[in-house]
Amino acid sequence: MKTRLFFVITVALMLAAGWASAQDATPSATRGQETYMRVGCYQCHGTNGQGNDAGPALTPKTLPAVAMAAFVRLNPGRMPVYPQEVLSDAEIADIVAFLQSVPPPPDADSIDLLRDLKQTD
Amino acid sequence: MAKDKHKTDPGRRKFLRNAALAGAATTLPTAAATAGQPNTTAPPAGAQEETVRGLSPPSVQQMAREAATPDQVEQLAGGSKSATATSFGSDFMIDVMKSLKLGYVFSNPGSSFLGLHESITVYGGNTTPEFITCMHEESAAAMANGYYKAALEPAAIMCHGTVGLQHAAMNLYNAWCDRVPLIAILGNTINATDRMGGTDWRHSAQDPVAMVRDFTKWDDQPMSLQAFAESMVRGWKIATTPPMEPVALAVDSTLQEMEVEDRASLTIPRFTPSQPPQGELGAVRETARLLVAADNPLIIVDRVARTPTGMRLLVELAELLNAPVIDLASRQNMPNTHYLNQTRQMGSLIREADVIVGLEVTDFWGQVNAVNRATMTSAPRVGKDVKLITIDVNNLYLKSNYQDFQRYAPVDLSISGDGEATLPALIDAVKQALKPGRKRAIAGRAERFRKMHAASYEESRQLAAYGWTHSPVSTARMCTELYAQIKDEDWALVSVGASERFISQWPHRLWAFDEHYRYLGVGAGGGVGYGLPAAVGAALANKALGRLSVNIQCDGDFMYANGALWTAAHHRIPLLTVMHNNRAYAQETMLVQGTANRRKRGVDKSKIGTVIQDPNIDYAKLAEGMGVWSAGPIEDPDELGPALAEAVRVVKSGYPALVDVVTQMR
Repeated sequence: MKTRLFFVITVALMLAAGWASAQDATPSATRGQETYMRVGCYQCHGTNGQGNDAGPALTPKTLPAVAMAAFVRLNPGRMPVYPQEVLSDAEIADIVAFLQSVPPPPDADSIDLLRDLKQTD
Repeated sequence: MAKDKHKTDPGRRKFLRNAALAGAATTLPTAAATAGQPNTTAPPAGAQEETVRGLSPPSVQQMAREAATPDQVEQLAGGSKSATATSFGSDFMIDVMKSLKLGYVFSNPGSSFLGLHESITVYGGNTTPEFITCMHEESAAAMANGYYKAALEPAAIMCHGTVGLQHAAMNLYNAWCDRVPLIAILGNTINATDRMGGTDWRHSAQDPVAMVRDFTKWDDQPMSLQAFAESMVRGWKIATTPPMEPVALAVDSTLQEMEVEDRASLTIPRFTPSQPPQGELGAVRETARLLVAADNPLIIVDRVARTPTGMRLLVELAELLNAPVIDLASRQNMPNTHYLNQTRQMGSLIREADVIVGLEVTDFWGQVNAVNRATMTSAPRVGKDVKLITIDVNNLYLKSNYQDFQRYAPVDLSISGDGEATLPALIDAVKQALKPGRKRAIAGRAERFRKMHAASYEESRQLAAYGWTHSPVSTARMCTELYAQIKDEDWALVSVGASERFISQWPHRLWAFDEHYRYLGVGAGGGVGYGLPAAVGAALANKALGRLSVNIQCDGDFMYANGALWTAAHHRIPLLTVMHNNRAYAQETMLVQGTANRRKRGVDKSKIGTVIQDPNIDYAKLAEGMGVWSAGPIEDPDELGPALAEAVRVVKSGYPALVDVVTQMR
């Protein structure tokens, strides 16, 4: 609950600071994928944002760019904080564009091997 | 390492030459093949003139090695074709090992234990123990570790007390942290005048065990054969008494070579297993009272199930209380198919618990507190009124230098006793404390946990679909494809390296770990270079037990000790190795990156020193070069199933196989 409250307040502050108006380039999924790989997001979240034990899935429910920036800058959890000096707001917007371009995962039941694992009791 | 002794004393050489000729003349014609049987023969004539501290004079083999030509040495040594009627110190040592039913000695050959090596293979018939050829002493130690966890019987390693032990040290430490018994037999030449040249000097030490004494439970350097017998049996007993740990015996090369004049005067003490200590009964009853009265009891386990019985008892305790179990899985404790295995819900269950019992948990503090490496802070994650209880052997044996005992955990009740040995008394006490009304209330908890268990599994199943078709292959896809090929076999996941988190714990999220042997834990000390050799050791045990051994192998770990693959090929050890080839020391990549971010210096250089690229390593070719069937590197996930199916076929035919899968980081 504390984390959520912190997050909401942060987002509000960033919006108030005019974060959105600071973006002067249209976000690019291609550029975002390059940045996503270069700054190491893939290490914990997979090369397509699918997530793993080290970091949650970032797709298909991708945070809006402003919320993503807030989390990346100030998250209180175990994820490394990415300051402005390391990752700009525009680059974060690009990353979000990339993540939004990733097709949603299939339902497990549509995959034979995973359907075979379905518990029936 | 040098394998030969070098003669330095001309006078001694002359004496040895004469004695060897005399010894050869009297011994060889009457040699009888008596492998496995102790022999008694008088020493060669004239040899009594040169005695060392009351020991017998140099053996025929010693004398011949130093005075005869190489061909004569081969003939005198007997090789596999003949055996002398003379009995040597090392033969008696093999008798002692046989009395303990020591199955295997994992070793790389060395000149300080030539006598033992020869006695194992010739006198002992290379069975009980069998000499397993290892390509590195570190691998030998890991193999003995993995072997124990699969067979539940200790194995031995044998190496130089100096350079060999230096190699073996890291995986001895892994065994120490893992509470695994093994016997380290260290060759040494104690008497300086018995050292034949510079190498012997470099391979000798006053106190060879000194460098590993901080992480071995007991050691000795026996000075007579009778003392060896007693120390070997004593060491075996100490190692296998909880807390189980490695022990070390430095074995003098002169003692190995001495001729036994009166075998009948030597006795092998009877080994009687030491029964593990049970927790004090009053404290156990109080634990039961608190557990029965609790609204939200929680059981945390790490190494409580030493045997299959431990697993059965843990299930019984959990079901009596309908208490969820968090399995930290240094052993396979709680079946993950059981609805009370709630490991995936660890955080929330710890927060809501009013009584928490830790059974053989090394790091109890680390479970009831949360640590944030990024902020370098920690905070309790339990409620103020929670009752904390520990039952373990952590306080029965400790050493202070290495800090694997973890942070001190303040608790309400600390019971020193072996967890598995204490479970029957705890179960009885819980049964006595349970009144009918309480039983009904406790029974009411089951439905909630059944639903949580099912939901957790379903969540994992859905998450496994993420990135299903992507390349590099997701670890979920890799593990699901692998499970599809083995689930109808009697399989065992014998190693995942230093942590199952490296593969996002997909096996425990999706596979059915319903037997004690399905999982053997990890390299507990975090030392890299454990995974592959430990898997080979475990697979050797499983071969006799009819189990299909599977190893999910991290690439960084593989490159420390890939010679273990040759050992598997040479000894026909069936083992399926699936490479988790993410071309990086991924954990460190992430940690270095986190540090750089915290210091606001960018992540551009975080891959320096942390990736295994340029060039990429072809693990399939490496395996092929060591005589192991292989496939890969596989980057297309659709190619994985057929390759794994073929690999399983190879393994079921009795051989090792490796499938190289290019994977996501985790």
